[in-house]
Amino acid sequence: MIGGHWDISWHRSIGRDTFWTPAHIAIYLCGVLAGISCGYLILASTAGRVPELRGATVRIWGFEGPLGAFIAAWGGIAMLTSAPFDDWWHNAYGLDVKILSPPHVVLITGILAVELGALILVLGRMNRAVGAERTRLERLFLYLAAMLLVVCMILAIEYVSRTYLHTARAYRVAATFAPLVLTGVARASGRRWAATTVAGLYTAFLLGFIWVLPLFPAEPKLGPVYRSVTHFVPPDFPLLFIAPALALDLLRRRAAGWKPWAYATAGGTLFLGVFMAVEWPFASLLMSTAARNRFFGTPFLDYSLPPWSYTARYLFYPAPGGAAFWEEMALALVLAVAGTRLGLAWGSWMRSIRR
Amino acid sequence: MRALLVLLVPVLATAHIGSPDIFYEGKAGPYALFVTIRPPAVIPGVAQIEVRSASPAVKEVRIVPLPVAGAGARFAPVPDVARPAPDDPQFFTGSLWMMRPGSWRVRVEAGGTEGKGEFSVPVPALALRTLGMQRALGAVLLVLMVALVAGLVSIVGAGVREAQLAPGERPAPARVRRSHGAEALTLALLVGTLWLGNRWWNAEAGQYGRNVYKPLEVSASLEPGGRLRLTLRDPGSLGLHRLDDFVPDHGHLMHLYVLRMPEMERVWHLHPVSGGEGTFLQQLPNLPAGRYRLYGDIVHADGLPETVTTGLELPAVEGQPLAGDDSAGSGLPLSRFDPGRTTAVLEDGSRMVWLRDAAPLRPKGAMLFRFRVEDAHGHSAEDLEPYMGMAGHAAFVRADGAVFAHVHPSGSVPMASLEAVGRLTGEAPPAGPHGDHAGMHHATLSAEVSFPYGFPGPGRYRIFVQVKRAGRVETGVFDAQVEN
Repeated sequence: MIGGHWDISWHRSIGRDTFWTPAHIAIYLCGVLAGISCGYLILASTAGRVPELRGATVRIWGFEGPLGAFIAAWGGIAMLTSAPFDDWWHNAYGLDVKILSPPHVVLITGILAVELGALILVLGRMNRAVGAERTRLERLFLYLAAMLLVVCMILAIEYVSRTYLHTARAYRVAATFAPLVLTGVARASGRRWAATTVAGLYTAFLLGFIWVLPLFPAEPKLGPVYRSVTHFVPPDFPLLFIAPALALDLLRRRAAGWKPWAYATAGGTLFLGVFMAVEWPFASLLMSTAARNRFFGTPFLDYSLPPWSYTARYLFYPAPGGAAFWEEMALALVLAVAGTRLGLAWGSWMRSIRR
Repeated sequence: MRALLVLLVPVLATAHIGSPDIFYEGKAGPYALFVTIRPPAVIPGVAQIEVRSASPAVKEVRIVPLPVAGAGARFAPVPDVARPAPDDPQFFTGSLWMMRPGSWRVRVEAGGTEGKGEFSVPVPALALRTLGMQRALGAVLLVLMVALVAGLVSIVGAGVREAQLAPGERPAPARVRRSHGAEALTLALLVGTLWLGNRWWNAEAGQYGRNVYKPLEVSASLEPGGRLRLTLRDPGSLGLHRLDDFVPDHGHLMHLYVLRMPEMERVWHLHPVSGGEGTFLQQLPNLPAGRYRLYGDIVHADGLPETVTTGLELPAVEGQPLAGDDSAGSGLPLSRFDPGRTTAVLEDGSRMVWLRDAAPLRPKGAMLFRFRVEDAHGHSAEDLEPYMGMAGHAAFVRADGAVFAHVHPSGSVPMASLEAVGRLTGEAPPAGPHGDHAGMHHATLSAEVSFPYGFPGPGRYRIFVQVKRAGRVETGVFDAQVEN
């Protein structure tokens, strides 16, 4: 994930795109390491060389290993598949200056699978463990869940930048990912403040980037250069998922024994309501001069942002209002409720993972 | 998947036809440099830059791309260092990203024992094609795709069948059945996802396809009185084209080459005048009936050059004598193609000699095409004068007419493009290879004239070289065989 955000910042500050930038290497090394380590684990398990996994494996194509190892290895192969595909894409159509292109989706799917595989690898063991080992694995599980949230928000990054935070679309996109992850993880972990911890780790991870990246010098190597950039440009301020996560954790304590759909309706509505209540005014703060400091990171702009762009002028993107707005918000609510319900099912499934 | 559709869209033209590389010879401060720029075929894409220094005094060359005009022209990215070739320290190479379509320039900065110098070479950055996928890569990706689909289906099956069982427990038949159902559902979902992905890919490819540059279209018609009317039309490409922003190049809005086809034994270099937005008019000279190919060079206000081309079938035209800078020339027909002939007899009885070695001509090789004008006695001519401000004009045309480049001693960049860059950036237009653009109108010139150029591909080419001697334009016609 460090490679992912580093690479995005690289594109915003330096712009040069060869395959061999350090950030790219960090990303693909993740795939290679996942492939090698999980491949080794699978081969060793198949050969019966891991006594603690004996009988606690799944079988695929004659190989045996923990389910998570297979998923992560699959993710590693998907990531590596995206490399020649992406390279060809650049040659065929030119460098894509956007994140959502078919080869990038293959790459992000691979990264997601590596994250998910690691999560399930930990889960299999965690659900069999007791005492101190379980506590340790629960913490690791929550960290991995936070990284999963980070990947999901990278996928959504083009729709939730601060310029869009007064559009209904940003809330629809956030409602697609966050309730699913937060509810699922909280359900699987069982820890009291699981959702809050995950959102907190996501927030801390991004704040780290905001505070650390601008310490390192970087200069644009691609034209057109619309503004002088001297240091790495950090990501946007993290979305305030911490507030709805806290609300979800509190709801979970009160809603023990509720029917899943009732819980999902309450949880989805609560998520969207609390998230909007804090993010909307906070976005106004981010646009104001009060936020143009190292803490919020908003003074740092991409070299490639033309002066007439909304971001460069610290303006919200003009979104359709009225009925169109409420239609999209209604859709966001439906997605938040469905995501919460799906999260419950996914969390229950994760709780039952033993291998 | 679309990956397996192997298609290569043919290369189109920008300035010049079928000859996208840019050749420029000029002086960066004290240093004479020969710059070759091979623009990318896709935008954003990488341009390849080659810089040859005439002297060993140049120790470092830096290159940087900039849009000619607009907000992005203010800040330059960090210049790249062009690396000297290991076996040739006077030859530097580098590559640069061109990030958006339009009129760009590459600033070349040279440093060495005699101080620093720089100039900018205009580069039209236009997406010329989209690329199909190579068969081998398509096959590899197809295999990986099938493996990933099969792998994911099996992982889901195993997850349902065994992942929730306590260690050592065997799956019950009901679980095994459920796992098969989950596998089938996963496969259906994946097929659906791939189908949607393919649609998305096609949509993206279509979007890029629409960004591919389409040259201005032109139609030609003959009007009573032997007047040629050229009507330009914007085919709709990226909003780049305007029909009302042409700037004069050597004093003319359009330089029109008219070639008699298919033998190319006659050439006219004419200068139509504006007849309103997108329209040009030219009083034709006497022309024999037959088929002609027309190439019209124009330059937009931002320095972006374009060449329009069309074919035309004409009856015998009773025209008027050539006037002004208009000129005509003739040579042997292409059916008597002779790449070994290095001497052309000019109409006034003098001769033009192509000073070339015996090495075969190769595509993409940037070189100086040198010609010497001799009088009837074989002595170097001493009465050459500038023709439209230039020591000479050369047109390189492939026998099938699909390649055309109008080149000057400073290279393939139109003077109007250089002047536009100077006007828009505030930088002085660079001096020519001999430091001599300004004031050339009245200079007395050397008997030798050279043109930096490189053929884009193999084939039979014809070179028309025009110089002005004692008030009269002379045309030397040569043949060139470019090997593969």
